[in-house]
Amino acid sequence: MKLAQTYTINDLMEGCRAGDRKMQELLYKQTASKMLAVCMRYAKDRMEAEDVLQMGYIKVFQKIKEYRGDGSFEGWIRRVMVNTAIESYRKNLRSLNVVEIDEAYEQPSTGFDFSQLGMQDLMKVIQKLADGYRMVFNMYVIEGYSHKEIAETLGISEGASKSQLSRARTILREEIIKMEGFGYAIYTG
Amino acid sequence: MQSIQDKDFDQLFKDAFADAEVAPSRDLWSSIESEIEPKKTRKLPVYWLAAAVILVVATVGILINREQNITKPDKSLVVNKVETKPVLKENQPKEAIKEPVKTEGKVIKVLPIERKSVTSLVKTKIKHTQKEAKQKVATAPEIVKQETVITKAEEPKKDVLKEKIQEAIQPKEEVIIARNGTTVIPDEVINENEQSNKGIRNVGDLINLVVNKVDKRKDKFIQFRTDDDDSSLSSINIGPFKIGKRNKNRP
Repeated sequence: MKLAQTYTINDLMEGCRAGDRKMQELLYKQTASKMLAVCMRYAKDRMEAEDVLQMGYIKVFQKIKEYRGDGSFEGWIRRVMVNTAIESYRKNLRSLNVVEIDEAYEQPSTGFDFSQLGMQDLMKVIQKLADGYRMVFNMYVIEGYSHKEIAETLGISEGASKSQLSRARTILREEIIKMEGFGYAIYTG
Repeated sequence: MQSIQDKDFDQLFKDAFADAEVAPSRDLWSSIESEIEPKKTRKLPVYWLAAAVILVVATVGILINREQNITKPDKSLVVNKVETKPVLKENQPKEAIKEPVKTEGKVIKVLPIERKSVTSLVKTKIKHTQKEAKQKVATAPEIVKQETVITKAEEPKKDVLKEKIQEAIQPKEEVIIARNGTTVIPDEVINENEQSNKGIRNVGDLINLVVNKVDKRKDKFIQFRTDDDDSSLSSINIGPFKIGKRNKNRP
Protein backbone atom coordinates (compact mmCIF):
# COMPACT_ATOMS: atom_id res chain seq x y z
CA MET A 1 0.00 0.00 0.00
CA LYS A 2 2.77 2.38 0.86
CA LEU A 3 4.54 1.62 -2.40
CA ALA A 4 1.38 2.37 -4.31
CA GLN A 5 1.30 5.87 -2.91
CA THR A 6 4.10 6.89 -5.23
CA TYR A 7 1.83 6.23 -8.20
CA THR A 8 -1.35 8.08 -9.05
CA ILE A 9 -4.31 5.99 -10.08
CA ASN A 10 -3.71 7.13 -13.65
CA ASP A 11 -0.12 5.89 -13.52
CA LEU A 12 -1.47 2.56 -12.39
CA MET A 13 -4.09 2.62 -15.11
CA GLU A 14 -1.44 3.21 -17.78
CA GLY A 15 0.73 0.46 -16.30
CA CYS A 16 -2.16 -1.97 -16.26
CA ARG A 17 -2.99 -1.03 -19.82
CA ALA A 18 0.55 -2.02 -20.78
CA GLY A 19 0.06 -5.31 -18.97
CA ASP A 20 2.60 -4.49 -16.29
CA ARG A 21 2.15 -7.12 -13.63
CA LYS A 22 3.54 -4.97 -10.85
CA MET A 23 1.20 -2.12 -11.69
CA GLN A 24 -1.71 -4.52 -11.76
CA GLU A 25 -0.82 -5.68 -8.30
CA LEU A 26 -0.46 -2.10 -7.06
CA LEU A 27 -3.81 -1.18 -8.55
CA TYR A 28 -5.37 -4.16 -6.89
CA LYS A 29 -3.81 -3.33 -3.56
CA GLN A 30 -4.85 0.28 -3.80
CA THR A 31 -8.47 -0.35 -4.72
CA ALA A 32 -9.33 -3.83 -3.45
CA SER A 33 -10.71 -2.75 -0.06
CA LYS A 34 -13.14 -0.30 -1.61
CA MET A 35 -14.17 -2.79 -4.24
CA LEU A 36 -14.68 -5.56 -1.76
CA ALA A 37 -17.05 -3.26 0.12
CA VAL A 38 -19.01 -2.90 -3.12
CA CYS A 39 -19.05 -6.64 -3.71
CA MET A 40 -20.08 -7.30 -0.13
CA ARG A 41 -23.28 -5.30 -0.63
CA TYR A 42 -24.27 -7.58 -3.46
CA ALA A 43 -23.21 -10.80 -1.83
CA LYS A 44 -24.67 -12.93 0.88
CA ASP A 45 -21.41 -13.26 2.70
CA ARG A 46 -17.74 -12.46 2.53
CA MET A 47 -16.84 -15.63 0.67
CA GLU A 48 -19.23 -14.87 -2.14
CA ALA A 49 -18.08 -11.25 -2.20
CA GLU A 50 -14.44 -12.23 -2.58
CA ASP A 51 -15.31 -14.56 -5.44
CA VAL A 52 -17.00 -11.66 -7.19
CA LEU A 53 -14.07 -9.39 -6.38
CA GLN A 54 -11.66 -11.83 -7.97
CA MET A 55 -13.73 -12.18 -11.12
CA GLY A 56 -14.14 -8.41 -11.18
CA TYR A 57 -10.41 -7.72 -11.15
CA ILE A 58 -9.76 -10.27 -13.84
CA LYS A 59 -12.30 -8.39 -15.96
CA VAL A 60 -10.70 -5.08 -15.05
CA PHE A 61 -7.30 -6.24 -16.33
CA GLN A 62 -8.79 -7.85 -19.41
CA LYS A 63 -11.03 -4.95 -20.36
CA ILE A 64 -8.79 -2.10 -19.28
CA LYS A 65 -8.33 -1.02 -22.90
CA GLU A 66 -12.05 -0.35 -23.04
CA TYR A 67 -11.70 2.37 -20.43
CA ARG A 68 -11.90 5.58 -22.44
CA GLY A 69 -11.01 7.94 -19.66
CA ASP A 70 -14.46 9.42 -19.26
CA GLY A 71 -15.26 9.43 -15.58
CA SER A 72 -12.81 8.43 -12.90
CA PHE A 73 -10.85 5.23 -13.28
CA GLU A 74 -11.97 4.15 -9.84
CA GLY A 75 -15.56 4.71 -10.88
CA TRP A 76 -14.97 2.53 -13.90
CA ILE A 77 -13.51 -0.25 -11.76
CA ARG A 78 -16.50 0.07 -9.45
CA ARG A 79 -18.86 -0.33 -12.38
CA VAL A 80 -17.00 -3.41 -13.51
CA MET A 81 -17.41 -4.84 -10.00
CA VAL A 82 -21.12 -4.06 -9.88
CA ASN A 83 -21.65 -5.58 -13.32
CA THR A 84 -19.71 -8.65 -12.26
CA ALA A 85 -21.85 -8.95 -9.15
CA ILE A 86 -25.06 -8.62 -11.15
CA GLU A 87 -23.80 -11.11 -13.71
CA SER A 88 -22.93 -13.53 -10.94
CA TYR A 89 -26.38 -13.08 -9.45
CA ARG A 90 -28.06 -13.70 -12.79
CA LYS A 91 -25.94 -16.76 -13.44
CA ASN A 92 -26.74 -18.35 -10.15
CA LEU A 93 -30.20 -16.91 -10.27
CA ARG A 94 -31.36 -18.53 -7.17
CA SER A 95 -35.10 -18.44 -6.99
CA LEU A 96 -36.07 -15.01 -5.83
CA ASN A 97 -36.98 -16.23 -2.41
CA VAL A 98 -39.19 -13.28 -1.84
CA VAL A 99 -40.16 -14.29 1.58
CA GLU A 100 -43.14 -12.28 2.48
CA ILE A 101 -42.87 -11.33 6.02
CA ASP A 102 -46.07 -12.27 7.67
CA GLU A 103 -45.57 -10.35 10.79
CA ALA A 104 -46.52 -6.88 9.75
CA TYR A 105 -44.38 -4.99 12.08
CA GLU A 106 -45.81 -1.76 13.20
CA GLN A 107 -43.40 0.88 12.07
CA PRO A 108 -41.82 2.61 15.01
CA SER A 109 -43.60 5.88 15.40
CA THR A 110 -40.59 7.72 16.57
CA GLY A 111 -37.49 8.05 14.51
CA PHE A 112 -34.19 7.23 16.04
CA ASP A 113 -30.76 8.33 15.08
CA PHE A 114 -29.93 6.16 12.12
CA SER A 115 -26.75 8.09 11.62
CA GLN A 116 -25.30 6.29 14.58
CA LEU A 117 -25.32 3.11 12.57
CA GLY A 118 -22.04 2.06 11.24
CA MET A 119 -21.36 0.87 7.77
CA GLN A 120 -20.80 -2.66 9.04
CA ASP A 121 -24.23 -2.74 10.65
CA LEU A 122 -25.83 -1.61 7.42
CA MET A 123 -23.81 -4.17 5.52
CA LYS A 124 -25.12 -6.89 7.79
CA VAL A 125 -28.73 -5.99 7.21
CA ILE A 126 -28.27 -5.66 3.49
CA GLN A 127 -26.67 -9.07 3.30
CA LYS A 128 -29.62 -10.50 5.18
CA LEU A 129 -31.99 -9.38 2.42
CA ALA A 130 -33.21 -11.87 -0.08
CA ASP A 131 -31.06 -11.78 -3.21
CA GLY A 132 -33.62 -10.04 -5.39
CA TYR A 133 -34.30 -7.35 -2.86
CA ARG A 134 -30.65 -6.81 -2.28
CA MET A 135 -29.98 -6.41 -5.98
CA VAL A 136 -32.69 -3.87 -6.52
CA PHE A 137 -31.88 -1.93 -3.38
CA ASN A 138 -28.17 -1.73 -4.17
CA MET A 139 -28.69 -0.85 -7.80
CA TYR A 140 -31.29 1.79 -7.15
CA VAL A 141 -30.16 3.35 -3.90
CA ILE A 142 -26.39 3.09 -3.98
CA GLU A 143 -25.55 2.83 -7.67
CA GLY A 144 -28.33 5.09 -8.87
CA TYR A 145 -29.82 2.90 -11.58
CA SER A 146 -33.33 3.78 -12.69
CA HIS A 147 -36.12 1.24 -12.30
CA LYS A 148 -36.11 0.87 -16.06
CA GLU A 149 -32.44 -0.01 -16.10
CA ILE A 150 -32.87 -2.41 -13.20
CA ALA A 151 -35.82 -4.06 -14.92
CA GLU A 152 -33.79 -4.51 -18.12
CA THR A 153 -30.71 -5.72 -16.35
CA LEU A 154 -32.38 -8.21 -14.07
CA GLY A 155 -35.02 -9.26 -16.53
CA ILE A 156 -37.95 -8.22 -14.39
CA SER A 157 -40.73 -5.70 -14.84
CA GLU A 158 -40.34 -2.10 -13.72
CA GLY A 159 -43.22 -2.62 -11.34
CA ALA A 160 -41.48 -5.57 -9.79
CA SER A 161 -38.39 -3.46 -9.37
CA LYS A 162 -40.35 -0.74 -7.62
CA SER A 163 -42.19 -3.09 -5.32
CA GLN A 164 -39.04 -4.99 -4.45
CA LEU A 165 -37.29 -1.77 -3.60
CA SER A 166 -40.15 -0.80 -1.36
CA ARG A 167 -40.11 -4.18 0.34
CA ALA A 168 -36.37 -3.98 0.75
CA ARG A 169 -36.59 -0.64 2.48
CA THR A 170 -39.25 -1.90 4.86
CA ILE A 171 -37.26 -5.00 5.74
CA LEU A 172 -34.13 -2.98 6.28
CA ARG A 173 -35.87 -0.62 8.64
CA GLU A 174 -37.25 -3.50 10.60
CA GLU A 175 -33.93 -5.22 10.76
CA ILE A 176 -32.14 -2.09 11.86
CA ILE A 177 -34.58 -1.50 14.64
CA LYS A 178 -34.52 -5.12 15.65
CA MET A 179 -30.79 -5.02 15.64
CA GLU A 180 -29.57 -4.67 19.16
CA GLY A 181 -33.05 -3.52 19.95
CA PHE A 182 -31.89 0.01 20.56
CA GLY A 183 -34.67 1.60 18.58
CA TYR A 184 -37.21 1.06 21.29
CA ALA A 185 -34.62 1.09 24.02
CA ILE A 186 -33.75 4.69 23.29
CA TYR A 187 -37.07 6.20 22.37
CA THR A 188 -39.69 4.16 24.05
CA GLY A 189 -37.87 3.32 27.18
CA MET B 1 -45.85 6.73 9.87
CA GLN B 2 -42.30 6.59 8.82
CA SER B 3 -39.96 8.71 10.83
CA ILE B 4 -37.50 8.88 8.00
CA GLN B 5 -38.44 9.58 4.42
CA ASP B 6 -37.26 7.08 1.85
CA LYS B 7 -34.95 9.72 0.44
CA ASP B 8 -33.17 10.22 3.72
CA PHE B 9 -33.14 6.52 4.41
CA ASP B 10 -31.48 5.91 1.05
CA GLN B 11 -29.03 8.73 1.66
CA LEU B 12 -28.03 7.10 4.91
CA PHE B 13 -26.93 3.99 3.06
CA LYS B 14 -25.35 5.98 0.29
CA ASP B 15 -23.19 7.92 2.72
CA ALA B 16 -22.33 4.87 4.74
CA PHE B 17 -21.08 2.97 1.71
CA ALA B 18 -19.54 5.90 -0.14
CA ASP B 19 -16.09 5.37 1.33
CA ALA B 20 -16.64 1.91 2.69
CA GLU B 21 -13.63 -0.35 2.72
CA VAL B 22 -13.37 -4.00 3.60
CA ALA B 23 -9.91 -5.50 3.56
CA PRO B 24 -9.83 -8.67 1.50
CA SER B 25 -8.05 -11.78 2.67
CA ARG B 26 -4.43 -11.86 1.60
CA ASP B 27 -4.42 -14.76 -0.79
CA LEU B 28 -6.81 -13.06 -3.19
CA TRP B 29 -4.17 -11.36 -5.32
CA SER B 30 -2.27 -14.55 -5.97
CA SER B 31 -5.40 -16.21 -7.31
CA ILE B 32 -6.19 -13.17 -9.46
CA GLU B 33 -2.61 -13.20 -10.71
CA SER B 34 -2.80 -16.85 -11.66
CA GLU B 35 -6.06 -16.18 -13.51
CA ILE B 36 -4.61 -13.38 -15.62
CA GLU B 37 -1.39 -15.34 -16.25
CA PRO B 38 -2.15 -16.22 -19.89
CA LYS B 39 -2.66 -12.58 -20.70
CA LYS B 40 0.58 -11.58 -19.12
CA THR B 41 2.56 -14.06 -21.16
CA ARG B 42 2.02 -11.95 -24.24
CA LYS B 43 5.12 -10.05 -23.30
CA LEU B 44 7.28 -13.14 -23.08
CA PRO B 45 6.71 -15.03 -26.35
CA VAL B 46 9.48 -13.13 -28.17
CA TYR B 47 12.05 -14.66 -25.85
CA TRP B 48 10.33 -18.01 -25.67
CA LEU B 49 9.97 -18.09 -29.41
CA ALA B 50 13.64 -17.30 -29.89
CA ALA B 51 14.62 -19.98 -27.41
CA ALA B 52 12.31 -22.48 -29.06
CA VAL B 53 13.71 -21.71 -32.51
CA ILE B 54 17.27 -22.17 -31.27
CA LEU B 55 16.33 -25.43 -29.63
CA VAL B 56 14.58 -26.76 -32.72
CA VAL B 57 17.38 -25.67 -35.02
CA ALA B 58 20.00 -27.20 -32.77
CA THR B 59 18.22 -30.52 -32.42
CA VAL B 60 17.44 -30.71 -36.13
CA GLY B 61 21.07 -29.93 -36.87
CA ILE B 62 22.30 -32.62 -34.53
CA LEU B 63 19.88 -35.17 -35.91
CA ILE B 64 20.85 -34.40 -39.49
CA ASN B 65 24.49 -34.61 -38.53
CA ARG B 66 23.95 -38.03 -37.03
CA GLU B 67 22.12 -39.27 -40.07
CA GLN B 68 24.88 -37.97 -42.25
CA ASN B 69 27.54 -39.82 -40.34
CA ILE B 70 25.63 -43.06 -40.67
CA THR B 71 24.47 -42.84 -44.25
CA LYS B 72 27.34 -40.98 -45.88
CA PRO B 73 30.72 -42.05 -44.64
CA ASP B 74 32.15 -41.49 -48.16
CA LYS B 75 31.90 -37.78 -47.92
CA SER B 76 34.65 -37.42 -45.38
CA LEU B 77 36.96 -39.33 -47.71
CA VAL B 78 36.17 -36.99 -50.54
CA VAL B 79 36.96 -34.07 -48.34
CA ASN B 80 40.24 -35.67 -47.37
CA LYS B 81 41.30 -36.08 -50.95
CA VAL B 82 40.68 -32.49 -51.74
CA GLU B 83 42.35 -31.21 -48.68
CA THR B 84 45.45 -33.37 -48.86
CA LYS B 85 46.42 -32.00 -52.25
CA PRO B 86 47.73 -28.68 -51.02
CA VAL B 87 49.72 -30.50 -48.37
CA LEU B 88 51.64 -32.40 -51.05
CA LYS B 89 52.30 -29.26 -53.00
CA GLU B 90 53.56 -27.57 -49.93
CA ASN B 91 55.93 -30.41 -49.23
CA GLN B 92 57.47 -30.28 -52.67
CA PRO B 93 58.91 -26.81 -52.45
CA LYS B 94 60.20 -27.50 -48.99
CA GLU B 95 62.18 -30.45 -50.29
CA ALA B 96 63.39 -28.37 -53.19
CA ILE B 97 64.69 -25.81 -50.77
CA LYS B 98 66.59 -28.26 -48.69
CA GLU B 99 68.28 -30.20 -51.50
CA PRO B 100 69.85 -27.34 -53.47
CA VAL B 101 71.32 -25.90 -50.29
CA LYS B 102 73.04 -29.13 -49.51
CA THR B 103 74.40 -29.63 -53.03
CA GLU B 104 75.61 -26.10 -53.27
CA GLY B 105 77.66 -26.62 -50.18
CA LYS B 106 79.38 -29.52 -51.89
CA VAL B 107 80.06 -27.50 -54.95
CA ILE B 108 81.63 -24.75 -52.96
CA LYS B 109 83.96 -27.17 -51.30
CA VAL B 110 84.93 -28.84 -54.54
CA LEU B 111 85.58 -25.77 -56.59
CA PRO B 112 88.16 -23.93 -54.47
CA ILE B 113 90.39 -26.98 -54.53
CA GLU B 114 90.28 -27.06 -58.29
CA ARG B 115 90.92 -23.36 -58.46
CA LYS B 116 94.31 -23.88 -56.83
CA SER B 117 95.23 -26.23 -59.61
CA VAL B 118 94.12 -23.66 -62.14
CA THR B 119 96.40 -21.02 -60.79
CA SER B 120 99.43 -23.26 -60.46
CA LEU B 121 99.10 -25.36 -63.66
CA VAL B 122 98.70 -24.82 -67.37
CA LYS B 123 95.63 -23.30 -68.96
CA THR B 124 94.66 -26.47 -70.73
CA LYS B 125 94.48 -28.19 -67.42
CA ILE B 126 92.13 -25.56 -66.34
CA LYS B 127 89.86 -26.59 -69.16
CA HIS B 128 90.03 -30.16 -67.94
CA THR B 129 89.24 -29.18 -64.48
CA GLN B 130 86.45 -27.18 -65.88
CA LYS B 131 85.16 -30.27 -67.60
CA GLU B 132 85.62 -32.25 -64.43
CA ALA B 133 83.79 -29.62 -62.57
CA LYS B 134 81.10 -29.76 -65.17
CA GLN B 135 80.61 -33.42 -64.65
CA LYS B 136 80.77 -33.29 -60.90
CA VAL B 137 78.44 -30.40 -60.58
CA ALA B 138 76.04 -31.81 -63.08
CA THR B 139 75.73 -35.08 -61.22
CA ALA B 140 75.26 -33.62 -57.80
CA PRO B 141 72.04 -31.62 -57.92
CA GLU B 142 69.54 -33.71 -59.75
CA ILE B 143 66.63 -31.54 -59.04
CA VAL B 144 68.32 -28.24 -59.84
CA LYS B 145 67.73 -27.08 -63.38
CA GLN B 146 70.37 -27.69 -66.00
CA GLU B 147 70.80 -24.08 -66.95
CA THR B 148 72.09 -23.12 -63.59
CA VAL B 149 74.41 -26.09 -63.60
CA ILE B 150 75.89 -25.04 -66.90
CA THR B 151 76.59 -21.53 -65.77
CA LYS B 152 78.30 -22.88 -62.74
CA ALA B 153 80.51 -25.11 -64.83
CA GLU B 154 81.55 -22.67 -67.53
CA GLU B 155 82.90 -20.06 -65.22
CA PRO B 156 84.39 -21.78 -62.29
CA LYS B 157 86.28 -18.67 -61.10
CA LYS B 158 83.11 -16.80 -60.54
CA ASP B 159 81.31 -19.85 -59.26
CA VAL B 160 81.43 -18.79 -55.67
CA LEU B 161 79.95 -15.43 -56.47
CA LYS B 162 77.48 -16.87 -58.92
CA GLU B 163 76.37 -19.45 -56.54
CA LYS B 164 75.83 -16.80 -53.95
CA ILE B 165 73.78 -14.92 -56.49
CA GLN B 166 71.97 -18.08 -57.37
CA GLU B 167 71.39 -18.70 -53.75
CA ALA B 168 69.78 -15.35 -53.66
CA ILE B 169 67.85 -16.02 -56.84
CA GLN B 170 66.86 -19.57 -56.19
CA PRO B 171 65.04 -18.92 -52.98
CA LYS B 172 62.93 -16.43 -54.88
CA GLU B 173 62.00 -19.08 -57.36
CA GLU B 174 61.25 -21.40 -54.53
CA VAL B 175 59.15 -18.80 -52.88
CA ILE B 176 57.13 -18.57 -56.03
CA ILE B 177 56.74 -22.32 -56.03
CA ALA B 178 55.75 -22.21 -52.43
CA ARG B 179 53.25 -19.50 -53.19
CA ASN B 180 51.71 -21.68 -55.82
CA GLY B 181 51.34 -24.26 -53.11
CA THR B 182 49.71 -21.93 -50.67
CA THR B 183 47.38 -20.33 -53.16
CA VAL B 184 45.50 -23.59 -53.28
CA ILE B 185 44.08 -23.01 -49.80
CA PRO B 186 42.53 -19.61 -50.53
CA ASP B 187 40.93 -21.21 -53.56
CA GLU B 188 39.27 -23.69 -51.29
CA VAL B 189 37.91 -20.95 -49.10
CA ILE B 190 36.50 -19.17 -52.10
CA ASN B 191 34.88 -22.39 -53.19
CA GLU B 192 33.25 -22.76 -49.83
CA ASN B 193 31.90 -19.24 -50.03
CA GLU B 194 30.61 -19.95 -53.47
CA GLN B 195 28.77 -22.92 -52.10
CA SER B 196 26.59 -20.67 -50.02
CA ASN B 197 25.81 -18.63 -53.10
CA LYS B 198 24.74 -21.58 -55.14
CA GLY B 199 21.25 -21.35 -53.73
CA ILE B 200 19.22 -22.87 -50.97
CA ARG B 201 19.24 -26.60 -51.25
CA ASN B 202 18.52 -27.55 -47.69
CA VAL B 203 17.67 -26.30 -44.23
CA GLY B 204 21.32 -25.64 -43.44
CA ASP B 205 21.67 -23.34 -46.43
CA LEU B 206 18.54 -21.47 -45.44
CA ILE B 207 19.73 -20.95 -41.89
CA ASN B 208 23.21 -19.98 -43.07
CA LEU B 209 21.69 -17.43 -45.42
CA VAL B 210 19.56 -15.90 -42.70
CA VAL B 211 22.33 -15.96 -40.13
CA ASN B 212 24.81 -14.42 -42.59
CA LYS B 213 22.50 -11.51 -43.12
CA VAL B 214 21.74 -11.02 -39.46
CA ASP B 215 25.10 -11.86 -37.91
CA LYS B 216 28.08 -10.16 -39.47
CA ARG B 217 30.65 -11.67 -37.11
CA LYS B 218 33.27 -14.06 -38.35
CA ASP B 219 32.01 -16.77 -36.04
CA LYS B 220 28.33 -16.84 -36.74
CA PHE B 221 25.65 -17.33 -34.17
CA ILE B 222 24.94 -20.64 -35.79
CA GLN B 223 26.41 -22.14 -38.91
CA PHE B 224 25.81 -25.26 -40.95
CA ARG B 225 28.22 -27.07 -43.15
CA THR B 226 26.24 -27.69 -46.29
CA ASP B 227 26.94 -30.22 -48.95
CA ASP B 228 25.17 -31.37 -52.06
CA ASP B 229 22.04 -32.67 -50.46
CA ASP B 230 22.58 -32.55 -46.79
CA SER B 231 23.75 -30.24 -44.07
CA SER B 232 25.17 -30.53 -40.61
CA LEU B 233 25.66 -28.23 -37.72
CA SER B 234 29.12 -26.82 -38.03
CA SER B 235 29.40 -24.18 -35.36
CA ILE B 236 27.47 -22.31 -32.74
CA ASN B 237 28.53 -19.03 -31.23
CA ILE B 238 26.28 -17.70 -28.52
CA GLY B 239 28.49 -15.24 -26.68
CA PRO B 240 30.59 -17.25 -24.26
CA PHE B 241 29.19 -20.52 -25.52
CA LYS B 242 30.96 -21.70 -28.65
CA ILE B 243 31.13 -25.11 -30.13
CA GLY B 244 32.44 -26.75 -33.24
CA LYS B 245 34.45 -24.00 -34.85
CA ARG B 246 35.18 -25.06 -38.39
CA ASN B 247 38.39 -26.95 -39.00
CA LYS B 248 39.47 -26.29 -42.54
CA ASN B 249 42.67 -28.31 -42.55
CA ARG B 250 41.44 -31.52 -41.12
CA PRO B 251 43.70 -34.48 -41.99
